[in-house]
Amino acid sequence: MSSIDGKEMGELGQPVSEKIKSDLLTLNMGPQHPATHGVLRVEIKTDSEIVAEAIPHLGYLHRCFEKHAEHLDYRGIIPFTDRMDYLAAMSMEWGYCLAIEKMLGTEVPRRAQYLRVMIAELQRIASHCVYIGTYGIDMGAFTVFLYYFDEREKILRIFEEISGARMLYNYIWLGGVWNDVTDDQLRRIEKFITELTENVKKYHGLFGENKILEERLANVGVISKELAYEYGATGPVLRGSGVEWDLRKKRPYGIYEELDFDVAIGQGLKGQVGDCWDRYHVRVQEIFESIKIIRQCLDGIEEGSIMGKVPKVLKVPEGEIYMRTECPRGELGYHLVSDGGKTPYRLKVKSSCFTHVSMLPDLAPGQMVADLVATIGSIDIVLGEIDR
Amino acid sequence: MLNEIANFLTSNVSNSSAVANEAELGDGHVLVAPESIYNCCKELKASDEFQMNVLEVISAVDYSDRIEVNYMLASFLKNSEVILKVKLPKESADAVPEIDSVVSIWKAANFLERECYDMNGINFRNHPDLRRILTPDDWEGYPLRKDYVVQKEWHGMEIDPEDKINKGDHFFFKKVVEEMDGDEKKVAYSWNGEQ
Repeated sequence: MSSIDGKEMGELGQPVSEKIKSDLLTLNMGPQHPATHGVLRVEIKTDSEIVAEAIPHLGYLHRCFEKHAEHLDYRGIIPFTDRMDYLAAMSMEWGYCLAIEKMLGTEVPRRAQYLRVMIAELQRIASHCVYIGTYGIDMGAFTVFLYYFDEREKILRIFEEISGARMLYNYIWLGGVWNDVTDDQLRRIEKFITELTENVKKYHGLFGENKILEERLANVGVISKELAYEYGATGPVLRGSGVEWDLRKKRPYGIYEELDFDVAIGQGLKGQVGDCWDRYHVRVQEIFESIKIIRQCLDGIEEGSIMGKVPKVLKVPEGEIYMRTECPRGELGYHLVSDGGKTPYRLKVKSSCFTHVSMLPDLAPGQMVADLVATIGSIDIVLGEIDR
Repeated sequence: MLNEIANFLTSNVSNSSAVANEAELGDGHVLVAPESIYNCCKELKASDEFQMNVLEVISAVDYSDRIEVNYMLASFLKNSEVILKVKLPKESADAVPEIDSVVSIWKAANFLERECYDMNGINFRNHPDLRRILTPDDWEGYPLRKDYVVQKEWHGMEIDPEDKINKGDHFFFKKVVEEMDGDEKKVAYSWNGEQ
């Protein structure tokens, strides 16, 4: 607090006086608002441009996936998992299949393992492309959106050829994958990632290293390590706060154990550790790490079958399991309780976005309204996964 | 690991009556008494040995006589995790059992407990803001209870009108209802036709 002519001044340069009372203005951001990336409604109480309170309201896309899952057989649930995080549908399927396969004790053939890792990493790149592109729009940079959607389009073309669908694939099945890829397709994937490396470097120079963006994101929406633990943050949000935690390293599933890659963490290059720029930068680095993984898969992929042995009438033995996987947006957990029947007794999904969005009431107070947009954008939410 | 945690809880929390249940298949859990859950979580977070600094998720499972609440705890410092389970007895089908909130230990519990309250009907004592989160505030019933029946109308809007829903599903439902003597609760409980 400063003082002018002996008078104490408040934060906005206004004289502090108990006689002046200002009411807080309530603003509804969303549910139809481009910067909320879906149907999130944030009730903001503002004091001029400063946010005093932000309350997220969820549930606009609630379809009760968990109830549906109790009524469907184990194979029939896979298309429903697609519809949770529709920008990373492959990763959603994989986590579910891993949980069931672990309960059944199914051996997945080597070729299918390679394909799954490759597809999941391509999906991670596609998802991060959407994140960076839409984040550009949030920050007022339209060009970068077109660049990144161009790259994502190429990935979707590959997925369309392999699985027959562009967004909701139903490609990873229990015991393996649905369809094999040809050598020609693999060659095209290699060509694509070679170009992508150069392109992402170029785009990062244009957008990420841009002085305007740096000024806009550095020291905004800082999530400290302690706050991230307190809220159970995972994925790029946790890594952006400087914690080296990646389930692909800490709890390797699939064939991640055999692959060589690094975990990108936020280093506070432009400001404090854990600010919006760090979270952006972690995702850019993750694209390069994913490219590294895909290249190793292309080198190591083996010939053979793509489906393991799974019984036709599927009954999962009695028991429960909690399976976690590393998805583009954070950890995805499936808690499956089976009573030995044809359908799950209970299937609970741990959504990373759900816990991330619960941070907003702690992050928002004291920010400018425009910085709140940057903060919401930087935690990269998908409402399909939050509301399920 | 589970036995160590059970022993730790037995010696540190007097009324926990912790039991480690190892599982042959899938994941085991540590069963604790419902009234001790707050102290158990607090001790596990504070202990140097386990350092359970993250609450991953709270998952509630409905049974005919009880609701099981699973707390998935994890330590990102020690790279370990555990499932803490409590069994909340349910006196009647509509009863809303109570349990202590853990929001003051992990802030993540705020939304997770609200979801549990909304979906499974569990009252969390000392929760700062216990409201419905995914369904509207004036919704009736708890969708993830096994005997849940969807309400017919909400603010003058018909829910699942016959001409709007998937016809294949509709006939399937109708058939099941006929087979269950028109008892919708029975259908909702389990579509396998058991219990």
